[in-house]
Amino acid sequence: METTLFYILSAVTVFGTLCAITARQAVRAIVYLVTSFFALALIFYILGAPLVAAFEVIIYAGAIMVLFLFVIMMLELGSPEKLPKPRLADWWPAVILFLAVVGSVTVIAASRQPAIAPGFTAISVREFSQALFTRYGIAVEAISMQLLFALVGALYLGRRR
Amino acid sequence: MTLADLYSMMPIVITGGGALIVLLCGPLLQARSVSWISVVISGSAGVWAAFTPPALTPSFPGVAFTPLAQFLIPLFCLSAALTLLFSHGYNERRGILGEEYPATILFGLFAMCLLPCATNLLVLFLALESIAFAFYILVTMDLNRVESGEAGLKYLLMGAVAAAFTAFGFALIFAGSGTMALAGALAATGNRVIISAGWGMVIVGIAFKLSLVPAHLWTPDVYQGAPAPVAAFLSTSSKVSAAALLLILLAFSPPLAELRAPLYALSLLSMVLGNLAALLQSNIKRMLAYSSIAHMGYLTLALLTGTREGYAAVLLYGAIYTAMNLAAFGAIASLSLDAERDQIADYSGLGFTAPLRGGVLALAMLALAGIPPTAGFIGKFFIFYSAIRGGEMTLAIIGIVSAAASAYFYLKVVVHLYMHRSNAAPPAPTPAAESLALCCASLFILGLGVFPAPLMRIVDAAMR
Repeated sequence: METTLFYILSAVTVFGTLCAITARQAVRAIVYLVTSFFALALIFYILGAPLVAAFEVIIYAGAIMVLFLFVIMMLELGSPEKLPKPRLADWWPAVILFLAVVGSVTVIAASRQPAIAPGFTAISVREFSQALFTRYGIAVEAISMQLLFALVGALYLGRRR
Repeated sequence: MTLADLYSMMPIVITGGGALIVLLCGPLLQARSVSWISVVISGSAGVWAAFTPPALTPSFPGVAFTPLAQFLIPLFCLSAALTLLFSHGYNERRGILGEEYPATILFGLFAMCLLPCATNLLVLFLALESIAFAFYILVTMDLNRVESGEAGLKYLLMGAVAAAFTAFGFALIFAGSGTMALAGALAATGNRVIISAGWGMVIVGIAFKLSLVPAHLWTPDVYQGAPAPVAAFLSTSSKVSAAALLLILLAFSPPLAELRAPLYALSLLSMVLGNLAALLQSNIKRMLAYSSIAHMGYLTLALLTGTREGYAAVLLYGAIYTAMNLAAFGAIASLSLDAERDQIADYSGLGFTAPLRGGVLALAMLALAGIPPTAGFIGKFFIFYSAIRGGEMTLAIIGIVSAAASAYFYLKVVVHLYMHRSNAAPPAPTPAAESLALCCASLFILGLGVFPAPLMRIVDAAMR
């Protein structure tokens, strides 16, 4: 039952992402991406990480994508761009990369080892926070420095001149 | 967690805290004092790291002050301090105001200090991305030049793709081995196929950071657009930290057998194409960009051997390359007035009108060309020596031939400096800070060229 659900959700995720990168209108792309984030959140839930699932919905699908929507609507980028269709010759690097990826996945699938699929054991908020702030405490500090300087850089570059 | 653990982490604390202090106090102080405070912060972090005994057990979960960190942190701190010394006058002439610049340099240094200390994949990745992040900001710092913004955007877009590759690679290594800890993730006991797929992705990401040939397209534009002191820092510390990341991931053991072919191709293409493309350049910063591609090809050649000697040569070359490129870009920064002096022809006669800076630039060019008694010769010698001992005869010969060809474009600059006359007005006298930094870098180049033994002992200790 869980396996079936997983495959359905992954199909939705992949399809949503594919549509997001091929959509001509930015707003549509964002809605597709939100769809794929929701499916991804459910996958996290099945894997036993309800907190990550909640964050995926609240932060990614909620906050970040809404911010994107606002920016796009403010800049009035809603109308589709008039880009020329890619010529046949422009496709070959993508095709080669696609074949390489498909080939590697086939090799991995062929050398298949018994998948480790433990039953559903949800990680509680307490366990999650303990791991986050003790085992990966340094990573949290590093990323907060990085976010601070992202802000500094954005303010510096966005300054009116 | 003891006091000794905290002491061993002090370089990270000093640089991170220093970046915040500079950011907070910057508006209250004069630009000159901000620059000097930043130089003192990076210098003290380096001195602290150099005199702290390394420990192999993690001080905090995820970080340990390893012997490699004890070697790399002082090197990064030195290069950040020299960059800050070069930048003060340059930024004043260009109107790059504000405390953001020194604070971002210190933030980059913080990430560089974190990188060699990392003992799990997550911290390693975050440190690598923080370094790139600092450079996205630094490259665009010059708001008055359009090229600077363009270069920053190019670097950001390519860097984001490379970061995605690296992250995916680390995720696959994690998936294959089942642990985030470096020691466990590299034991390659899990699913070998998935781990090697992860390694492939990591190599793609690192090839971008090292600007090896199929992933090198950003390099010339970014070097040309970035302010010259930033290009100095970018071409040295960011490259050395990417090479260090590979060394940490490999844990000084030979790379997986599958990685030989991609590394071989990257090294071959970078050495040949980098040097050939540099021959055609008339812009000195683009020329140095292609030359750095070629130099990273030499570095990959030493990595490819997978021997202890090869890895020692990588570290030795990293240190020497840092000194050479800092001297070259520092002299360019110092000679640039309110417009960038970027055509090679603009350097005509400067050997006479600006003896110190012209001399340092000439010395840096001779060192990059690998002419004895400069340190560049020692570095190249050990790279090719370790390659030949490690069984990479063909690639070593190709490397030596391409290095010989590269002498043409390095010496072209020297010829312009000393054998052409120009009627242009002589540049303003060198400010004291820049003279100090230039003298430091050239002392390093000459000193290591004549007495390489102390550095080799330090490198040997770093690999324990």
